[in-house]
Amino acid sequence: MSTHAAQPVAVRTHGVDMFFGDGETKVTALKQADFEANRGELIMLVGPSGCGKTTLLSVIAGTLTPQTGTVEVFGQRLDGLSQEELTTFRRKHLGFVFQSFNLIPTLSVLENVMVPLLIQGASHDVAVTKARAMLEKVGLKGREYGQPNALSGGQQQRVAIARALVHEPSLLICDEPTSALDKDTGAQIMQMVRDLSRSPERCVVVVTHDHRIFRFADRIAEMEDGRIRRVVEDASLLDTNQL
Amino acid sequence: MYRLALNMLFGDRAKLAMLLCGLAFSALLMAQQTSVFFGIMSWTYTPVYNIRAPIWVSDPMVEQANDAKPMRDTDLYRVRSVDGVAWAAPLHTSFLQARMQDGNFKLITMVGIDADTFAGAPAVLSQGLIEDLRLPNTVIVDEWGAQLMGRVTKGPDGKDVVIPLKVGDTFEVNDLEARIVGICKVRRAFTGGPFVYTTYDRTKLYTLGARRTLSFMLVEPQAGVDPDKLCARIEADTGLKAWTSDTVIWTWSDRSLARNTFWWFWKNTGIPFSFGTAVALGLFVGIAVSGQTFYSFVLENLKYFAAIKAMGAGMGVIARMLLIQALTAGLLGFGLGVGMAQAIGRAMIEKGMPPFIMFPQIFWATLALVLGISLVSAIIGIIKVSRVDAATVFRG
Repeated sequence: MSTHAAQPVAVRTHGVDMFFGDGETKVTALKQADFEANRGELIMLVGPSGCGKTTLLSVIAGTLTPQTGTVEVFGQRLDGLSQEELTTFRRKHLGFVFQSFNLIPTLSVLENVMVPLLIQGASHDVAVTKARAMLEKVGLKGREYGQPNALSGGQQQRVAIARALVHEPSLLICDEPTSALDKDTGAQIMQMVRDLSRSPERCVVVVTHDHRIFRFADRIAEMEDGRIRRVVEDASLLDTNQL
Repeated sequence: MYRLALNMLFGDRAKLAMLLCGLAFSALLMAQQTSVFFGIMSWTYTPVYNIRAPIWVSDPMVEQANDAKPMRDTDLYRVRSVDGVAWAAPLHTSFLQARMQDGNFKLITMVGIDADTFAGAPAVLSQGLIEDLRLPNTVIVDEWGAQLMGRVTKGPDGKDVVIPLKVGDTFEVNDLEARIVGICKVRRAFTGGPFVYTTYDRTKLYTLGARRTLSFMLVEPQAGVDPDKLCARIEADTGLKAWTSDTVIWTWSDRSLARNTFWWFWKNTGIPFSFGTAVALGLFVGIAVSGQTFYSFVLENLKYFAAIKAMGAGMGVIARMLLIQALTAGLLGFGLGVGMAQAIGRAMIEKGMPPFIMFPQIFWATLALVLGISLVSAIIGIIKVSRVDAATVFRG
């Protein structure tokens, strides 16, 4: 694992505080959260519910702006960027895999995968070509014109992965990617994510509760009470009953 | 993205059908009710429409075409002497009772025209000759009147059958015989009664020797004389009121008899209010149903819009997607609604009533209102989506 640690840093948060509400209703989600992920690395964020995993993921993704601290993704400081600049940054550099897939049911599989390319301003023809190639890569050739709801959970998550990677983002954000999948399908999906993310110009951050997939991580950051408690390379060091 | 926006819209067929129903019903109500309203209102200025003459002259107190205040016959000579008048002909209009062969009475509109020139005569006769009006005790009846005044008899199936009046049939007006020598085609009157044409002089007999029978004068300007200017000259020289016969009601000209008649009925009857209520109801139903349906469409797709936002789509792109969806639904709903209104209108016209006139203004106004409804729906959706935090996509 030391090889990954030696790679240049892809994501870094330092002294990040994040709270919601104020006065008596104030809830602190992150307290001086320091986090690092390296290029070419698949890192998992784990911890009990309410420990701040999703908030930290949102901060890294630029969908939430922290009250204090710095956030740097592939050399770009996100804190201080306007909403418009954050939107542009996400469009160019981020790919998302969501817990509930978030595939648009009224669009075909191919159209769902085309979405990030079209958001980037690619022409329809270019988007079709790239989306087809990506679907072939995730093993869904021949299913392009089907509806997402007609696919199994595993296939839907493959479509989501194809959508997340079709525009070749630097940072892939995965939020509970296997929570809706059985053990074997979850393992297949994680193997695919791991294989597709193996590039020095890419980094994958996965938030998960699913200890069955810890083995796919290069490193695991354990969170507690809004902080990174520790980072381990060996999943066996974690007490999975606490996660 | 915009093609995908349309695919999102068309992909949800149940929602789309609901949305189109709301918009189409709204467009139908607005277009159909407005067209029937203008159709009925067009009947108010039927005399001007049926009796074509460049200028109408009336008593100065007359406000509209159905409001005849008889003048002296000598007024006709005064008008003829006005500089710029090529000719002037008398016209009589009055409501009278006609007694049919079976003893029934019918309210008729008697129109007396100049026997020398036939100025004011109906343009189209489906039976008979206009010259036969010069024969004693003769009249021409309009097709609707011939039907209305027809004899009712039992058909082979026991149902009532109307045998319309025809050339040669007679009825009585004030105990004087009226023999039909022609059937004409004219637009129906607002009052619904038949038009009975005869000569101006004979109306003096049918009206039992009324002292004044000159309801209007029909005037033709000399070649090159502007009708508006001649109207002003007639008013200045005679103290009477002169009108143009322009039947376009969308005119600012205060001299248009048709326009004044239209607006007189607008101000003095409850017709605009009752039809206006139906149109407002259409608009309200459209906004309520379409807005609610589109809002629920947005709500159902909210997590996908949030995902699209998280993926880096700006609010501008999402707003345009929602606008395209709403306006496309609006256009389709408008097409369906106005198409249905036209179909209903055509069926009505074939049956003869109620009248149906879809002015281009109605078409465009309905389009604007339906697109307005769609725009309101889209704006509601845009506000909702703009308030959604992209970070919500990570909350399961």
